[in-house]
Amino acid sequence: MTDKTQKTTADISAKLETGNSSKTSLMYRKNLKDIVAYCQELFDDLDFKAVKSWKEAKPGRKVIGYMPVYVPREIIHAAGMLPVGIMGGGDQLEVIHGDAYYQSYICRIPRSTIELGVTGRLDVLDGMLFPSICDVIRNLSGMWKLMFKDKYVRYFDVPQNYEDEIGGKFYIHEMQTLRDDFAKLVGHEITDDDLRNSIAVYNENRKAVEELYAFRAKGPWKAPSTEVYLLVRAGMVLPVEEHTQLLKDYLEVAAVEDRPVRDNCRVVVSGVFCEQPPFNMIKSIEMAGCYIVDDDFMLVTRWLLQEVPISGDPLENLSKAFLHHSNDTAAKYEPDVDKKGKYLIDSVRDNSAEGIIFAGPSFCDPALLDRPMLQNALAAKDIPFTSFEYAENSGQMQPIREQAGTFADSIKLWSA
Amino acid sequence: MTITIGIDIGTSAVKSVLFRTVAEKHEWLGKRVDRLRKRDPMKLASEAYHGLLKDAGLKKDDVAYVATTGDGENVDFRTGHFYSMTTHARGGVFLEPEARAVIDIGALHGRAISTDERGKVLSYKMTSQCASGSGQFLENIARYLGVSQDEVGSLSKAADDPEVVSSICAVLAETDVINMVSRGISTQNILKGIHLSMAGRLVKLLKSIKAKESTVFVSGGLAQDVGLLAAIREQAVDQNLIVKVTSNSDSIYAGAIGAAIWGGFRYEKLGNLKQLAKAA
Repeated sequence: MTDKTQKTTADISAKLETGNSSKTSLMYRKNLKDIVAYCQELFDDLDFKAVKSWKEAKPGRKVIGYMPVYVPREIIHAAGMLPVGIMGGGDQLEVIHGDAYYQSYICRIPRSTIELGVTGRLDVLDGMLFPSICDVIRNLSGMWKLMFKDKYVRYFDVPQNYEDEIGGKFYIHEMQTLRDDFAKLVGHEITDDDLRNSIAVYNENRKAVEELYAFRAKGPWKAPSTEVYLLVRAGMVLPVEEHTQLLKDYLEVAAVEDRPVRDNCRVVVSGVFCEQPPFNMIKSIEMAGCYIVDDDFMLVTRWLLQEVPISGDPLENLSKAFLHHSNDTAAKYEPDVDKKGKYLIDSVRDNSAEGIIFAGPSFCDPALLDRPMLQNALAAKDIPFTSFEYAENSGQMQPIREQAGTFADSIKLWSA
Repeated sequence: MTITIGIDIGTSAVKSVLFRTVAEKHEWLGKRVDRLRKRDPMKLASEAYHGLLKDAGLKKDDVAYVATTGDGENVDFRTGHFYSMTTHARGGVFLEPEARAVIDIGALHGRAISTDERGKVLSYKMTSQCASGSGQFLENIARYLGVSQDEVGSLSKAADDPEVVSSICAVLAETDVINMVSRGISTQNILKGIHLSMAGRLVKLLKSIKAKESTVFVSGGLAQDVGLLAAIREQAVDQNLIVKVTSNSDSIYAGAIGAAIWGGFRYEKLGNLKQLAKAA
């Protein structure tokens, strides 16, 4: 372990040792620079030291990992466990073992996730959820079962039918199975009140994330997308209560920070919901003269669009929220062809965006197969767009800067 | 009246210009070139900015828009940034109103841009990342041959039997040149051979953007190299491309000029849209 890694580990451990103590939090959240640096530390830490610290702080604590795009984290939280988003290995992880498990025409996130697993970095997890997003992730769930026999592993299916009587019943059954499994794992029942409490906690978190996105859309120079990304990404490893507070702290200090306004165009970034792009790609898009005013990074935090009701049957409430008030993206099945792309057109309108950047991971079926239909919908409305692909370890950003930059120029100079 | 500054940060120099625009009439008030010579380009950009203002007797608040181009995305006092294709096209049309294509030959790459009369980019092609089509390569060769940059053009024009460089890779091309020197090939013929090799690739770029029967303006640091210009004209004839190739003593400023003019254009547009960004 290098000195730098040791220092980072010690820093994060110290910060998290006292759980959600506001006294500790204030020590590192006193200004915008500290908040961003803290999130960057969490982002850079491929050994999940923050999660380990949380787990070691109290005997018996358990952690459940989940992959993109969506799982009802409320159920994990209600069991008293920590949900941890596993977003791949990024561009700092050398994949040695992972490549042996997949063909060359498969995206990178399953390879780097296997690499994280076989190198012991995910030993802190007591279980892992693989939500239905594509065949690759579903197959990964089977591989995980074979590779990590001592862990709880589940392929978490979500409905593709949005009627309460069909998809709703199915989804409630899936969530109930998860609830029963987790109850066995932690050794106690998960009551309706536990679930209601967790729904309330996540409602608060969703509200804070939405406020962050609204703040950025209103004044994107005040909340650079690199910062917004790191903030939301921190929610993949922090306890939800602490993450909510982190977002509130950021909004408070960012609002009074004096930052220069640039003459950038306003864009929506689409297709980045599963394998995450290298951090430098987000930087490059901004450097190229684009303010990102909406995106679909880490959708788990923004999948449900409205406050989930607390009274009544909690699983039914979660189901109804999923079926009727969830985010439309390429990650969600849309049976009505005429509605394809409507969400992007709405986002352009609602966020005063001037164009769309389609940035999809190479070989990503959900993002890339939808792209032509989405582009047709945008073209019909004369909304400019540009498209490129990436892998989480893409290193050469010059072509992306050039492409995003010339796209920004064309919008700034020639759009109405 | 709109005062704008354009700053083009290149690989070997920072080029800066000051413009005043009144009713779409552009008046060029100031210019300067600062060679990098291992200095921090951001500091040079700041010095150029303040220098231009001082020379023109203007204050920061007089400037409506500071536009950067080239590698200027990180200049912290910029209002906005435009990409090189966008700015060289506009700068080319400003310096040569008849131009409908621009070849920008910088220190590290060459690019051909097709433009309309407004300076709008219609299409473009760049050389690959190999440096043998670039100014840096030519500068290295001149140094190996013991001639100054200023002499390269006239020596090349005096060649009588140019020796064509066979490789497009800068490393292998340099090996070619070492072999030529050992074989006793004259400096003039070596330089002309290099010029023809570079020109051949640039003309191919022009053909790929369909620049035919038009005026081609050469911008960038190598636009003053008369040997290279002559080689481009020769290669155009050899490759059956009917074009008029022109340059200008201010060609090196094309990117900065384009940035300044587009900055003014944006300022007006944002004003009309009531979305005026404050200059940083």
